[in-house]
Amino acid sequence: MESITGLLTKIFGDGMSPMALLISGGLTMALIMSLVMAMCAIVFTWMERKVAGFLQSRYGPMRVGGFHGVLQPVADMLKILGKEDIIPDEADKALFMLSPFVIFIGSLMAWAAIPFAPGFIASNLDLGLFYIFAVSSAAPAGILMAGWASNNKWALYGAARGAAQMVSYEIPLALAAIPVVMATGSLNMNAIVDAQGGGVLNWYIVHDPFLFLAFCLYFIASIAEVNRGPFDMPETESELVAGYHTEYTGMRFAFFFLAEYANLFLVSCIATAVFLGGWHPIAGPVFLPGLVFLIKAVILVFLQMLVRWTLPRLRVDQLMHTCWKVMVPLTLLCVLGSGIWMMVSGELL
Amino acid sequence: MTQYLRDIKDAVVSAFKGMGITSKHLAKKPVTLQYPDERWVLPERFKGFIINDTHRCDACLRCAKVCPVDCIYIETTGKAKDRYMYRYAIDYNKCIWCGLCVAECPTDACQHSLDYDHALYDRTRLVYEFTSPAKPIPCHKETRLEQGYYVPNADEERAKLAAKKEAELKKAEDETAAPDPSPDEGKVE
Repeated sequence: MESITGLLTKIFGDGMSPMALLISGGLTMALIMSLVMAMCAIVFTWMERKVAGFLQSRYGPMRVGGFHGVLQPVADMLKILGKEDIIPDEADKALFMLSPFVIFIGSLMAWAAIPFAPGFIASNLDLGLFYIFAVSSAAPAGILMAGWASNNKWALYGAARGAAQMVSYEIPLALAAIPVVMATGSLNMNAIVDAQGGGVLNWYIVHDPFLFLAFCLYFIASIAEVNRGPFDMPETESELVAGYHTEYTGMRFAFFFLAEYANLFLVSCIATAVFLGGWHPIAGPVFLPGLVFLIKAVILVFLQMLVRWTLPRLRVDQLMHTCWKVMVPLTLLCVLGSGIWMMVSGELL
Repeated sequence: MTQYLRDIKDAVVSAFKGMGITSKHLAKKPVTLQYPDERWVLPERFKGFIINDTHRCDACLRCAKVCPVDCIYIETTGKAKDRYMYRYAIDYNKCIWCGLCVAECPTDACQHSLDYDHALYDRTRLVYEFTSPAKPIPCHKETRLEQGYYVPNADEERAKLAAKKEAELKKAEDETAAPDPSPDEGKVE
């Protein structure tokens, strides 16, 4: 935000009142973040299809746009724009129309506290990490709304499963980030990233064995949180047609899709900032911070895709077993263990 | 408790094993062919679309008769030396690529080509015409030889034809030389 308001004062002079500056800066940042989300959907759909293809010894899209089908997302988007907007007769129309935006906005709000580069953060909140986990839990509400409003049994099953899963996995997700908060002593995202400066050995992933375990648990929980394979219970093509967005077409469906890929990138960005040193490179001084951050996040996205196209889907009971009986105890162990580690190594004193 | 820990260990190990396998495939070259740009090398006896070499075909109708689905349409006109084929068409909507016509053809006019990609938007366009009514194909051996079409054992046939012509010519000469060598012969009937 500071860099954006600085830019705005450079363009428009000092004549702007602080309020106008705040509002225009916020709007600019919101626009940038929406564009980032749209770019996520565009880039990652292509990447997902290519990764899936190459993992299965095939090419994926090759025909649109010359080199390896780079314009395939554009063709997909044009197709989706051309679709008829269908609202089922028996649907709850208001909720049906509202739910894609609830999910989208829940995802967009979380972007406000992601530090892409020094100074390039929409809102430098003291409770940044807490804020991200808080607003991203709006997604289950949107999913439930979509499933209920569709008046379709598959959509409702998917929504119920999705809500149960996301509410459950938020707990290990947040608990896995707590050791980092303990080590930093702050929930501010900038402070967390700043504390990891100066080479790979200062990153929290290698801080102590419990933090490494916490990163692994965070990664697993984040895959479940964004409803992707092997935890894609809300969608389960083979069982529930398409889950909570069964009845959606055209642009409304595109919003779900957009939110899914934006969330995919969002959890990777959080992991990058919290565990992988944010914009700090492996060694040496800070160099092209935004690019370093993006590379790390995209590598994590790639790993999530690798997992999705490798592992078979879990059953619902296995999913809940994994969350409540394995991951929650292990994350609690991480919190306890890294606390003891810090006490023994003298960081706390 | 030990079972619980063993389950966790199994889950982690098997997940990594699976990821190892998929990662290996990531580095391999994909096995798919980019179809319209790259194609399979077809086997020598590939049973592609059946074509008729009209240069060799003498409209013996064997292919049309042997065809189990009656997809070969042959239309001719005239008789003996004046017999001409003005239509040879194959309806690929019906064809089952059994290859009986190819096996039956005495002059090897019917053949399997190496073509196979003839998807069309209109099924009427799948009736392929091999001749045009404007240029009918002669069917009789002699007319074929005269017009330069293929005849099996062409040299022998040509020699025979030449001999026959010679004989005819000689006969005609004899007739002109002796206008009425044996008047009785004509009265035998």
